[in-house]
Amino acid sequence: MSNILDVELLNVEFNINGNYYHAVNDVSFHIKPGETLGLVGESGCGKSVTSLALVRLLSKSARVTGNVLFEGQNLLDLADNEMRKIRGNGIGMIFQEPMTSLNPVYKIGAQISETLLLHRDISAREAFVQSVDMLKKVGIPRPDEIMDEHPHQLSGGMRQRVMIAIAMACNPHLLIADEPTTALDVTIQAQILELMRDISNDFGTSILLITHDLGVVAEMCDRVVVMYAGQIVEQGTVDDIFFNPQHPYTRGLLNAIPKIDARSKQRLQPIEGNVPSLTRMPRGCRFSPRCPHVTDPCKMQSPELFAVDDTHFSRCWMNEKREI
Amino acid sequence: MLKYMVRRVLEAIPTLLGVTVISFIMIHIVPGSPVRILLGNHYTLERAAVLSKELGLNKPLWIQYFIWLGNILHGNFGFSYVYDKPVAHLILQALPHTLIIVVVSILAAHLFAVFLGSVQAYYQDSIFDQIATVINYLFYSMPSFWLGVLLIIVFSINLHWLPSGGIVSSQVSNPGFGDWVRHLILPVGSLFLISVAGWARYMRSSMRESLLQDYVRTARMKGANEFRVVFVHALRNSILPLITMFGLSLPTLLGGALFIEEIFNYPGMGLLYWDAVNSRDYPIIMAITVFLGIVTVLGNLIADILYGIVDPRIQYR
Repeated sequence: MSNILDVELLNVEFNINGNYYHAVNDVSFHIKPGETLGLVGESGCGKSVTSLALVRLLSKSARVTGNVLFEGQNLLDLADNEMRKIRGNGIGMIFQEPMTSLNPVYKIGAQISETLLLHRDISAREAFVQSVDMLKKVGIPRPDEIMDEHPHQLSGGMRQRVMIAIAMACNPHLLIADEPTTALDVTIQAQILELMRDISNDFGTSILLITHDLGVVAEMCDRVVVMYAGQIVEQGTVDDIFFNPQHPYTRGLLNAIPKIDARSKQRLQPIEGNVPSLTRMPRGCRFSPRCPHVTDPCKMQSPELFAVDDTHFSRCWMNEKREI
Repeated sequence: MLKYMVRRVLEAIPTLLGVTVISFIMIHIVPGSPVRILLGNHYTLERAAVLSKELGLNKPLWIQYFIWLGNILHGNFGFSYVYDKPVAHLILQALPHTLIIVVVSILAAHLFAVFLGSVQAYYQDSIFDQIATVINYLFYSMPSFWLGVLLIIVFSINLHWLPSGGIVSSQVSNPGFGDWVRHLILPVGSLFLISVAGWARYMRSSMRESLLQDYVRTARMKGANEFRVVFVHALRNSILPLITMFGLSLPTLLGGALFIEEIFNYPGMGLLYWDAVNSRDYPIIMAITVFLGIVTVLGNLIADILYGIVDPRIQYR
């Protein structure tokens, strides 16, 4: 079966004081039908920019090149009105901030129905019925009453459920979730993740899950893309990433997770330093200033994404030797 | 809601009383007495004493105030010194003229300012936005009487398109609806231009802020087009500051069309007020002051109720 999404050499540049700087650099990945792909990295590594570039919601100061093939159609070539037919219909998206992502002055019912009315040729009455149905599917109690309420009357977790209902109303084939649980407290996080997993199973929806939380990745994803400073540094199945991490950055991320383990009384090991800014990218490997295994070649030339095996790739010179 | 409104009206009563006390004192402090103005060339001390007694101006100020207040509470606004007619009658005659220019200009100015400000915010910093901003500033900083005179010079004196003042043409034997409308254009136009300039600036900054909000991104993600994003999703969140302006502008416009009515010799509340101040016609001044006080309270109340309609997060307690 062909892929739902093929991203080929996606580049995003921002105009800062007249100069263009790369925020996303030659990013390529794909998502298969029904698959959940995790996009992982620290704040500022280009995850959100990548996701917004896919659906063309970046501001006009951004220059996006490459190919974004959604079910065979290159989204970057579409006219604006054709792109609008994809948003909310073929691709749904939920965001990090459920508290501010809903319009405060409209009722929940109107906000869910809107998606349906924009894409389906149905009456307001039918849209209302389907919206109630959708609220039931995302596990909202008293859906009929909630339809008539405003966002400020709901908690963060409930609002994120409503956002999911909005995103899933037209049964899109791809759901992009940009840090969907970051703003929620832990018990609610687990509920929302479970809901997303159920939806993925029930509807066969593919999910692009953007997160900085490797715990979420382990729980949700089939495959993982690790990003650092606008580049993919490692890509593989969940098992590849968790049990056989290759890139020093991925290992660093894994070491920075607290473990509940009697023996490990050692402290967490943070990755020293910060993500480099767009305007001051290091020469050579972008991770080299923070890398514990840095060697001279690393500082001179940027490594390619070397294949570790069929599904596993790493952008580190250490992996070059394994190339056949 | 009803309880809230009743409470607000009750709360306004002390404020209104305060307003009457202050204005009563102020108009009596202002030099120039109505007696002197009424008698003019016929002024003698004896006649002044008689007239003073007739008008009740010889009593101590605080007694005058309570007599006036008592009359007001009985619905008696007194007689105008100058016109020798009941004040209520004069106000009811002038009010419709003012209402028509104020209502038309407020509505038109708000609609246009909301539209202009929104479009400016959407095309922020474009050539269009910059030109509109300059024009807005131009009208915003222009005194209303100066703009009025300017419009008269251009459209009445030079172009002969529109009458320079009044409400009917004296030389036309049977002035109809069209003639009346022609007389309204310049006063309404002046008020409109000055109001739009300020309100569009508020709308622009408010809309700019709204367009950066997360729910706007959500609307785009649903597949809504840009018109819908701006005029359905962002607009309703952006007009709150304008509602405040609306509440504040109501009394200003009802009384403060003053200069405009004076310039265009337009027989509304402003002109009545203006003439009353010049001739120290105390009953008219006091009546209009009370009227404007009530309108101020009402304007704020209307603004608060509109808030609740536009923004469901606001609740009345």
